Amino acid sequence: MIPRPFGLLAELTYRCPLHCPYCSNPVRYPTAQPELDTDEWISVFQQAADLGVLHALLSGGEPLQRKDIGTLILAAHDSGLYTNLITSGVGLTPSSAKRLKQAGLDSVQISFQADEPALANSIAGTNAFRLKLLAVRAVQEVDLPLTLNVVLHRFNIHRIPQIIEFAVSLQAKRLELAHTQYYGWAFKNRKALLPSLQQIEIAAQLVAEARKAYQHRIEILYVLSDYYSPRPKPCMNGWGRRYLCVNPIGDVLPCPTAYEIPHLTFDNVREHPLQWIWEHSEAFNRFRGTEWMHEPCCSCPYKEIDFGGCRCQAALLTGDPSVTDPVCELSPHHPLLERQLQVSSPPLLPQDEMRDKMSYRIYP
Amino acid sequence: MMHCNLFPPNAIPKIAPYARLQQDRVTGKMALVYPEGVLLLNDTGAAILKLCNGHTDLATICSQLSKQYSLSADNLVADVQTYLHRLYQRNLITFEDEPRSSDQNRP
Repeated sequence: MIPRPFGLLAELTYRCPLHCPYCSNPVRYPTAQPELDTDEWISVFQQAADLGVLHALLSGGEPLQRKDIGTLILAAHDSGLYTNLITSGVGLTPSSAKRLKQAGLDSVQISFQADEPALANSIAGTNAFRLKLLAVRAVQEVDLPLTLNVVLHRFNIHRIPQIIEFAVSLQAKRLELAHTQYYGWAFKNRKALLPSLQQIEIAAQLVAEARKAYQHRIEILYVLSDYYSPRPKPCMNGWGRRYLCVNPIGDVLPCPTAYEIPHLTFDNVREHPLQWIWEHSEAFNRFRGTEWMHEPCCSCPYKEIDFGGCRCQAALLTGDPSVTDPVCELSPHHPLLERQLQVSSPPLLPQDEMRDKMSYRIYP
Repeated sequence: MMHCNLFPPNAIPKIAPYARLQQDRVTGKMALVYPEGVLLLNDTGAAILKLCNGHTDLATICSQLSKQYSLSADNLVADVQTYLHRLYQRNLITFEDEPRSSDQNRP
């Protein structure tokens, strides 16, 4: 039986004023088609709610680059969806924050690249830090629930205590510290971005200490990179099981990075109803359930828990999306991952070398 | 460590400002939706959370539920405490004046 989805990731646009080298957007954008227009997105939200979706992440790129963002939030809200805006903060002013709240926005996540302006701007590839501070204040002024998000990697992991203090000083109630996941631009830049194992261990300790020190003053969500996890993640809570992702041109993907998987064909909301795509699209059925699995997954007691891990990661690291996620210690490809971690061990580079070591995200 | 009476009877629980209680169209059950996802609730969970409205204290919540389900308030108090404690640890509920058990201190 085909399960019903709970969450929609709506990637409203790939346009973004930032150039973060850890971006998980595809390195090669599908540029042949125009972005979905307002009415097409409204229809996506209504169809998603009809399918059972309760929760929508409005993301990108930078979703505020859409001039119709207020209309889109209103439509998602009117369809009964909980809306969480995932933004860099660039373009969020007191008046736009007020407008989005009135449209029914439920919560906002603003990203910071670091606590320290020069470092943050150098990671973002643009001077966005000051605008982000203004965005935080704008969101707080209209009393919208706010989560700060900082993606961790080798260039900011040493500043975890300062980042936490920074979040507390901004009176944020929630801070997500998420290690880079290595897809898209991040995969391209992985040698420069991957922290050493020792840095990861220190980071975990610092986060545990801060959680104790700031208990109930700020909630710290900590997300480890798959590369350092002992077991693979149940990616998207199982392929085609809980989530669907609609990208800027209307392709419907089981996960936002599924473009990484070679020879997988996606269906588009311009051609089919969302329900048909959820139930019949080749992309969704290819890795749905457990039938597609090979050993060591087939006979594994965890197969209904982690669903073999992440298909995109399997494809990226081995070329074959149907093998066990190499993150799993039982995977015959696990040594590939260990090799990735070994090349990442040299000490931290001075900040000014960052540009030479990484490819900054660009929009064509 | 879990134990009874973790929250005092006059504590007033409230659903976190970023979370929302809403009905799931597919199952008809209630769901707690928050920035990262969805928690589908069973009937008792929903009954408890509906009373976490920011102006009903724990003692009143328990007495209302005990009438609603014809259960002795004694058994029910422990279950409500356990349930709320789990949600509190996930920051999905807050308390009006942030009560805490004796082993937790403000930094």
